[in-house]
Amino acid sequence: MHSRFIGVPVGETTVIHRLPALAKVTVSCVVILTSILLPIGWGVAFVGIAALLSLVVFVSRTSLWFLFRNIVIVEPFVIMVGLSTLFQPDGGMRFASIALKSTLSLVTILLLSSTTPFEELLEVLRMMRIPAAMISIIALMFRYIFVFIGESGRMRTARQSRSFTQRTARSWVVLASVLGQLFLRSTVRAERIYTAMCARGWRSQ
Amino acid sequence: MTAVECTDLHFRYPNGEEALRGVTMRIEEGESVGLIGPNGAGKSTILLHMNGILPERLSPTVSISIFGIPVDAPNLFRVRRLVGLLFPDPDDQLFCATVYEDVAFGPSQFGLPEAEVKALVEDSMKKVGLQGYEHRSPHHLSTGEKQRACLAGLVACQPKILALDEPTHGLDPRGKRQFKSLLQSIEATKIIATHDLELVVELCARSILLDEGVIVADGPTASLLSDEDLMNAHGLEKPHILKHLHPH
Repeated sequence: MHSRFIGVPVGETTVIHRLPALAKVTVSCVVILTSILLPIGWGVAFVGIAALLSLVVFVSRTSLWFLFRNIVIVEPFVIMVGLSTLFQPDGGMRFASIALKSTLSLVTILLLSSTTPFEELLEVLRMMRIPAAMISIIALMFRYIFVFIGESGRMRTARQSRSFTQRTARSWVVLASVLGQLFLRSTVRAERIYTAMCARGWRSQ
Repeated sequence: MTAVECTDLHFRYPNGEEALRGVTMRIEEGESVGLIGPNGAGKSTILLHMNGILPERLSPTVSISIFGIPVDAPNLFRVRRLVGLLFPDPDDQLFCATVYEDVAFGPSQFGLPEAEVKALVEDSMKKVGLQGYEHRSPHHLSTGEKQRACLAGLVACQPKILALDEPTHGLDPRGKRQFKSLLQSIEATKIIATHDLELVVELCARSILLDEGVIVADGPTASLLSDEDLMNAHGLEKPHILKHLHPH
C-alpha cells in the first residue's frame, strides 16, 4: 500500500505532516540555501541546522532506517563528485564540506517529501508559477510510477516462477528483454492515457 | 431520435489489420445495446469511432454520426461531450493526482465555470457512491473503486451516450453487482462492448453480434444469445443465466 506521502506507510500523521505545504517548502529552501552557501568554517551554524533537522525527524516520527536507506542510494553520486576535490590543495576539507552540505540538503528534501502530501506540493508549485506543462509532467510521473512498479513487479514474479537457474550469463539476456518490454509497455500505456484524455475533451495545444 | 448512426463504416489499422469491413447500424436514444463478439471482432474499434478518437485523421466523408451530428473535425469537441467513453483499464483513465481532479478534468476541459465544475463533481461522486474520496490518489483505490471513479469522470461530463468497453473486467462478483446497478441508475443511451454475456442479458434489451469487422446478427438479447449454434460459431456461448430462463 502506498501513501499520499512518498515512501512512508499510511496513517503516520503528526504536527509536521499537517503544517501548510507552503511553509514547509519555504523553510526547506532556506535550510538548503543556507547550508550550501555557508562557509564550512562556521561549524556552529551547521550544528544548528543538524539540530533543527533532528528535531523535525523526532517530531514527525520519521524512521531513521528510511532516511538512511535513501541517503545510501544517493551518496555514491556525491562521492563521485567529491573525489575530484581530493586532488586539490586542501582537498580533505573540501570533500568533507561537499559531503556534509549534500547530506544536510538531502535529509531536508527527504523530510519535506515524506511529510507533505504530493498534491499539496503540486499546489505550491502552481502558486510559484512553475509552467503548467512541467507540473503536468511531474504529476503524471508520480501517478504512473506506482503503476510502473506494479507492472515490473508482476513481470518479475512471472519470470521467477518459470526460471529454474539463477545467475547465469543468460539471465542478463533475459533482463535486457525485460527492460525492452517495460519500455514498450510504458509507451503503449502512454498512448492509451493520451487517448483517454482526448476522449474527455483534452485539446492538445 | 437516433443516437448513433453508422453507415458502411470501414477501418484499417496502420499495421494493415482490417478491423471494420462495412458496419451499418442505428441505435435509438435511450436504448441499451450489448456489443458482443470474439476477441478482435472490432467492438472496441467501433466505440473509438463514436467520439472521433479513430480514425486518427478524420476524413471529410463521415460514416458515423451522433444525434445527427457527423463526427468530423469541426464537430469533434461537441461529439466528445455527448459521448462518454469508458476504457477497459481504469489506470489509463485516472491520470490525475487526486480523484477530485480527475472527475473535474472533463468539465473543466469543456470550459465550464469553476463553481459549476465543483457542483458537477460533487454530484457525480455521490451518484457513484464515492463521497469522501475526493482527495484520495487513484493508486490507493481498489479496482472496483477505480472503475466507479472513472464512471464519475464520465458522468461529470453529462454525456447522452455511454460507450463502455469491458466495464466489468477485473471486478469481483460484488464489484460487478454494484457496478451493474450503478449503470442501471444512470440515464443515458448505453453501448456496452463486453465478453460478460450475463451483463448483456441483464442490462441490454438488444444485442449486436460482431465478428471479423462485420455485423453478424442484431436483435433482442434473449433470442440472439439463446441461439446456441450462432453463439458457438462466433467464439461465444449461450450464457448460463439464459439456460434457466423460460419466457412464458
